Amino acid sequence: MTQPGHGGQEPAEQVSAVRPFLLTEGRVLGEEASLPMETQLVATPDALQMVGQLAFERRAILEACRVPLSLAELAARLGLHLNVVRVLVGDLHNRNLLTVHIPRPGGSDLDVLQRVINGLRAIHTSPGSNDG
Amino acid sequence: MGDTQTLAPRPPQPVKMVVSGGFGVGKTTAIASVSEIEPLTTEAAITEVAAGVDDLSMTPRKTTTTVAMDFGCLTLDPTLKLYIFGTPGQDRFGFMWKDVTQGALGALVVVDSRRLDDCFPVVDYFERDGLPFAIAVNAFDGVLTHSLPAIRSALDVAAEVPVVAFDARSGVSVRESLIVVLEHALARARGY
Repeated sequence: MTQPGHGGQEPAEQVSAVRPFLLTEGRVLGEEASLPMETQLVATPDALQMVGQLAFERRAILEACRVPLSLAELAARLGLHLNVVRVLVGDLHNRNLLTVHIPRPGGSDLDVLQRVINGLRAIHTSPGSNDG
Repeated sequence: MGDTQTLAPRPPQPVKMVVSGGFGVGKTTAIASVSEIEPLTTEAAITEVAAGVDDLSMTPRKTTTTVAMDFGCLTLDPTLKLYIFGTPGQDRFGFMWKDVTQGALGALVVVDSRRLDDCFPVVDYFERDGLPFAIAVNAFDGVLTHSLPAIRSALDVAAEVPVVAFDARSGVSVRESLIVVLEHALARARGY
C-alpha cells in the first residue's frame, strides 16, 4: 500500500543563496523534489524524544506529524513554502525522525477508483452529510 | 529500536483529484463544498523555468514565483483519504500543474459558460497529459448561459469526455461531478 520511506537515497548537498532556503541551511531540493503533495508523514517514536533538541521549524514538523499528515497540509499549517517543507522533511527522514509514506499512483488502479466512487456515494446518502 | 516503528500510527492511503479552471470560476467554492476541513492554502510555487523540468536542484539562476493553491480533503474510510487540489488555470501557471496532477485520479475542469476560453489551457494540458477529466459548467445562480451541447461543441473535447452542469456551492452537486470524473477514469482504465 505505502512505501515506508527508507530507500536510503542521499539528497544532493548543494549550496544556494536563494532566500527561502535559509531555513534549510542552504540546501535545495534533491530526492524530495518528487515527493507528491499528498505524501503522508508520521513522526517516528525516536522523534518524540528528540523533539526538544531541534530548531523551530523541524520541531514544529515533528509535533504536527504525531498523527499522519500530508505534505500539503503540513506546508499550509506551518505557513511555509512547499519546497522548503520538502527539504526539511527529507532531512528529518534521513535522521530517522519522520516516516515518509509515498503514495502509489492510483490513476489506473480499478479497485482504488471504485473505492473512491463508493466512498463519495456513501457520503451522498448519509443523513448527516453537510451541504452548503 | 526497529520494532518501535510499528507503534507509529498508520496513515491512510492518500488519493487525489484536481479541480482546475480559470480565475474566479468557483474552484475554491467547489473544494470548500466537499472538504471536511476548511480549505487550506499552500504556497506551491517553484520557478518559472521549472515547466517540464523535474529537477529543481539548479535553482539559483532562476526566478521564483509564489502561487497560492487551495486544497481540501475528505476521509472516505479509515484507510482511504481523498485530497482535492485546486490549480489556477492560466497558462502562465502551467509550470505547477505537473506537481499537482502527477498520480491524480482525475480532474474536474470548472467552466464559466460566459468565459469558456479561460479553460482552454488546462483542457489542452489534460488532453496531452492523458489525465481523465470532465468539464463541469458552473451554473451561476442556477442559470447556464449556453446549453451543454453548445458548450461541448465550443470546447471541442473528445466525445467521451463528460460535460455536466453543476453548482459549486452544493456538496451533493460537487460530489456527483467528482463521481462523473471517476467513472470516466474507470471506463477508460477498463479500455472503454
